[in-house]
Amino acid sequence: MRPAESSGAVQWRLVVPAVLGALALLATLGQGAALVITDVLIMVLFASSLNLLTSYGGMVSFGHAAYFGLGAYGLALPLAKLGLPLWAGLALGPLAAALGALAIGALCVRLTHIYFAMLTLACSEIVFTILFQAYDYTGGDTGITKFMAPRLGLDPRLYGALVLAIVSACLLLLWKVVRSPIGLAIRAVGEEPHRAAALGYSPRMVQLVAFVIAGTLAGVAGTLFAVYQGNAFPDYAGIGFTIDALVMVVIGGLHSFAGGVYGAVIYTLLKTFVSRYVTEWELVIGLILLAVVLVSPAGVAGGLGRLGHALGRRSA
Amino acid sequence: MVAVQIVNGLMEGMMLFLIASGLTLIFGITRIVNFAHGSLYMLGAFLTYQLVSHFAPGSLGGFAASVLLAALAVAALGTLFEILVLRRIYGADDLMQLIITVALVLVLRDVVQMAWGRNDVVVQMPDALAGALRIGGSYFPVFQLAIFGAGLAVLAVMVAVIRYTRAGILLRAATDDRGMVALLGINQARIFTAVFAVGSFLAGLAGGLASPFGNINYLLDTTVIVTAFIVVVIGGLGNLYGALAAALAVGVLKGLGVLYYPRLSMVLIFLIMAGVLVVRSLGRQTVGK
Repeated sequence: MRPAESSGAVQWRLVVPAVLGALALLATLGQGAALVITDVLIMVLFASSLNLLTSYGGMVSFGHAAYFGLGAYGLALPLAKLGLPLWAGLALGPLAAALGALAIGALCVRLTHIYFAMLTLACSEIVFTILFQAYDYTGGDTGITKFMAPRLGLDPRLYGALVLAIVSACLLLLWKVVRSPIGLAIRAVGEEPHRAAALGYSPRMVQLVAFVIAGTLAGVAGTLFAVYQGNAFPDYAGIGFTIDALVMVVIGGLHSFAGGVYGAVIYTLLKTFVSRYVTEWELVIGLILLAVVLVSPAGVAGGLGRLGHALGRRSA
Repeated sequence: MVAVQIVNGLMEGMMLFLIASGLTLIFGITRIVNFAHGSLYMLGAFLTYQLVSHFAPGSLGGFAASVLLAALAVAALGTLFEILVLRRIYGADDLMQLIITVALVLVLRDVVQMAWGRNDVVVQMPDALAGALRIGGSYFPVFQLAIFGAGLAVLAVMVAVIRYTRAGILLRAATDDRGMVALLGINQARIFTAVFAVGSFLAGLAGGLASPFGNINYLLDTTVIVTAFIVVVIGGLGNLYGALAAALAVGVLKGLGVLYYPRLSMVLIFLIMAGVLVVRSLGRQTVGK
């Protein structure tokens, strides 16, 4: 039940149509749709970063939003309080997330299973509470606003294209990481920590590397989100966003690289469109989650994979 | 002032114990981390609100009956969820077990909003328990004292069952070694269902008992579950007595924290939670298991 991509090569015949399709949608559907697509793309990156930990590293983080939030505040705080230029904020956002993931990860990789999950929860709640309580610096629950024009003042379609480029680049990087020797080490430790240790790997070090990569990419997503919204709120680091990402990964499909992508697309679109017609969109998500876990534990990606296999067998 | 805050903290701590006891019981036996525990608590509070209106306003008997009925209804729901859903995923992926109860959280949050709306509701305090008692020159609300008593009663019943009944023996055995209990020919599924029912009952009971304390709304689930996790983790996952000690300690810490460092107290509590986890890991081989 582990990721079983057949080769290390990037599957361009899937990637190119997906990217071109997103560009075409951005260009043709108008500004409102561009906002939704941008939201989806940012969540794709956030969920995929968590997916590195859950599907490859065998680590269930209950505090992944902490790095999303650090990415947002790493941008917003220096701009609002120190008056730093925009480019500095764009660099400091992911950097803050990376440093946060390094510090918290160094503690968390000492633990496994539920204890790991609970420690990531405690650490992320510390981040959330500090953002929430340090009213003088972060503005508490009123957040930080008006430190920059939302979406850099760009047309939503243009900002969407920019986010598409950045998210695509990050996902390619993530794919390269997963297929690289360190990626194989992450999978080895995730599946069989004892055997990996016997082969000479330091499980904790490997897990920490995975944790920092995942945290940094979540930080990039958080920074993009703060630019998109033009604000930063403590909730970005809260348990709500963490659960969103976990649900996305499970719906999309555990143990599949594309799981985070499918999950984020389905979840965000449902949230956007179902909530327009009925207020009970969470009920719908909950029922889908139940259905996935009970009917197709490998999620949408697993279901599509099985479909592909069945079709391939028939044509062969 | 300090003494009053300590006593208030102890009373809040007993409330925390009522919340955490069901969660730690469920984890101890089934290894399921029930994220929906806060949602079941919330449902217990809303159901109590609904039921109380059918009795004479302010009557103690009406309140007690409402809380009990609400807790039983919540227990029924928990039992149903265990039988229909959880039973299929014992032994599945870690993440599956951790995430499946989130589905119930999402569903219940919307069900509660559909049934009772998004505004706060308030449960009237029973007249007999309103007011305050003068002890040693300070006043203590009678209702909180009653909650403290209820917490002690629940604890006494749980301890008695665990120590002196056959069910308790099975519980202790299943906590130590599930596989061994199964080998002895005991039906594990029945133990799990019973434990989930009792745990859900305790969640509903806590929600009902606490309902006159503050406003009840659909956002209660997250705050309650995070607090419950803190207590259960500090007390040692699955450890009932640990949960009691941790609940009282966290309650007192909160009470004193409000006095001295209102802003830092929550950070401090999460730091303790993280510290407990890290310190516990020191003596353990952490790879695999």
